[in-house]
Amino acid sequence: MNPDGEKQIVDEPPPVLGTWPRVYAFVVCYLAAVIAAFYWFTVHYAP
Amino acid sequence: MNPLDWAVLFGWLVLLVSFGLWRSRGSNSVNQFLLAGKSMPWYAMGLSIMATQAGAITFISTPGQSYVDGMRFVQFYFGLPLAMVILSATAVPIFHRAKVYTAYEYLEHRFDAKTRALVTVVFLLQRGLGAGLALAAPAIVLSVILKWPFTITTLIMGGIIVLFTTLGGIKAITWADVPQMLVILASLILALIVAIRLLPPDVSFREAARLAGAAGKLTAVDTHFNWNDRFNLWSGLIGGMSLALAYFGTDQSQVQRYLTGRSIGQSRLSLLFNAVFKVPMQFFILFIGAMVFVFFVFERPPLVFQPEQMKRLESMPQYAGLEADYRGAFDQRQQAARHVIASTGDSSRSAAIAEFRGAQAHMDSVHTAALKLTKEDDTNYIFLSFVTTHMPHGIVGLVLAVIFTAAMSSISGEINSLATVSVIDVYKRHWHPGASDHHYLTASRVATAFWGCFAMSFATFASGFGALIVAVNQVGSLFYGPMLGVFALAFFLRRVGANAAFWGVVAGQIAVFAAAWFTHVAFLWYNVIGPVVVIAVALAMQPRMGLAVRRTG
Repeated sequence: MNPDGEKQIVDEPPPVLGTWPRVYAFVVCYLAAVIAAFYWFTVHYAP
Repeated sequence: MNPLDWAVLFGWLVLLVSFGLWRSRGSNSVNQFLLAGKSMPWYAMGLSIMATQAGAITFISTPGQSYVDGMRFVQFYFGLPLAMVILSATAVPIFHRAKVYTAYEYLEHRFDAKTRALVTVVFLLQRGLGAGLALAAPAIVLSVILKWPFTITTLIMGGIIVLFTTLGGIKAITWADVPQMLVILASLILALIVAIRLLPPDVSFREAARLAGAAGKLTAVDTHFNWNDRFNLWSGLIGGMSLALAYFGTDQSQVQRYLTGRSIGQSRLSLLFNAVFKVPMQFFILFIGAMVFVFFVFERPPLVFQPEQMKRLESMPQYAGLEADYRGAFDQRQQAARHVIASTGDSSRSAAIAEFRGAQAHMDSVHTAALKLTKEDDTNYIFLSFVTTHMPHGIVGLVLAVIFTAAMSSISGEINSLATVSVIDVYKRHWHPGASDHHYLTASRVATAFWGCFAMSFATFASGFGALIVAVNQVGSLFYGPMLGVFALAFFLRRVGANAAFWGVVAGQIAVFAAAWFTHVAFLWYNVIGPVVVIAVALAMQPRMGLAVRRTG
């Protein structure tokens, strides 16, 4: 009862940025930018 | 609730269940029922993962949490994108290549049967309790709002969920989550627009944000480190990442979603989709809570948001005094808010903000005194009180329908994963190996019905928690750390064998229980303590246990 039977498991490239490590780097940079934006928001509206 | 609201509520429910069941036609094998025949595209998995994690609790509790405590809860999600990146690079290809139905099946490939059994028991315990809480949370609130008895509400919700999940399996759940998540986002946008439009004409959006900021509701990032503080940048990044790693990497309710992907790449994309959208979505939901707070600066809020407790309070002798005090504090706060908006120079603005915060503190103290009398936190009723009292008819029905079906989405995913683990890791592995596919399909449907009934029974005992979203995460955090630890050993420390891993998990679980009962460390840190202890104990014991490493498939 193997869910894949003899099916080959394919590891395809990402649809953007060429390689998966580049996609991961983008996500980490994006997170840094989001936290920086929230920090600015906090300081801007601080009581 | 008027007839239009009821029509929207039942219309949406029928439409969603029908759509899910229609998309799941042909689920007549175990592979189809539990893993959707490994055919799902990334966007369906991504939205389904988001819907399962969000659930009704997020919808009910999060805006209320922001109303009371500000937006700092968003930091809880900061570690999630990092966890998604790590899991996309490690767990996703490992689980796909191991060709497993459950994450715990992999543990037997890597270690041995007893390690798999131990982690299976831990999962069934924590997810079983979690499913009960996830049903109780919306059932408690909806029973009060709809004025239905709690048991009846639980039975109606649970009954629909059990029927839907037993008939449709994972394919129905995943496809139903796609329109569900889109309607959740649409309702949230509607709620924000209505909250802003209901502000007095002379209060602009910019001024509303200034007022929320003056009350400290827009503090989204706190860089101060404190072990006992639940939500700051560091607990969010480190503790939140560990919790997300454990939840998405070791909890079958999530692993099963991305195992339905038609390729490794599709599964990775579904996780990375969440990495990009989850934090902004939580920020947006919390911001709605902050705007609801500003709305209630100009529209007097009830002394207590829970309608039944409010009625109880009205019959108490202390009520008249509290109500008069609250009214006075509200008038004072509203006047101070006008001063904040009108202030121009720095000094006059500081003075106005101090006046506003003083009035806010006075209102909070009266509200707290009222809650002491009613003995029940009303955080979960704030947003729904706003929706049912101030939103137009039709939208009220839509929001309640979304809460109802959001509960369905998360609980059906949870009971489906509980059924999968019960059949694959317990029934097939220990009791009845070698039976036909049809036999295991029937067993999966029976197990789904069993866990649905278990969740309904537990839900009836689960009332009386505080902010329910925190309660759910706390139950998870008691067990996730050791589970994360054993998978970290399996993935990264090839020299650690089965016995060392087993005793590492036992020690990690004891350490987390000890931290919960004997210290005041915030619960997010349990997700760090658990894996650290598991890894340390396993590494320390390994030389004595001998090398017993298995090769994985």
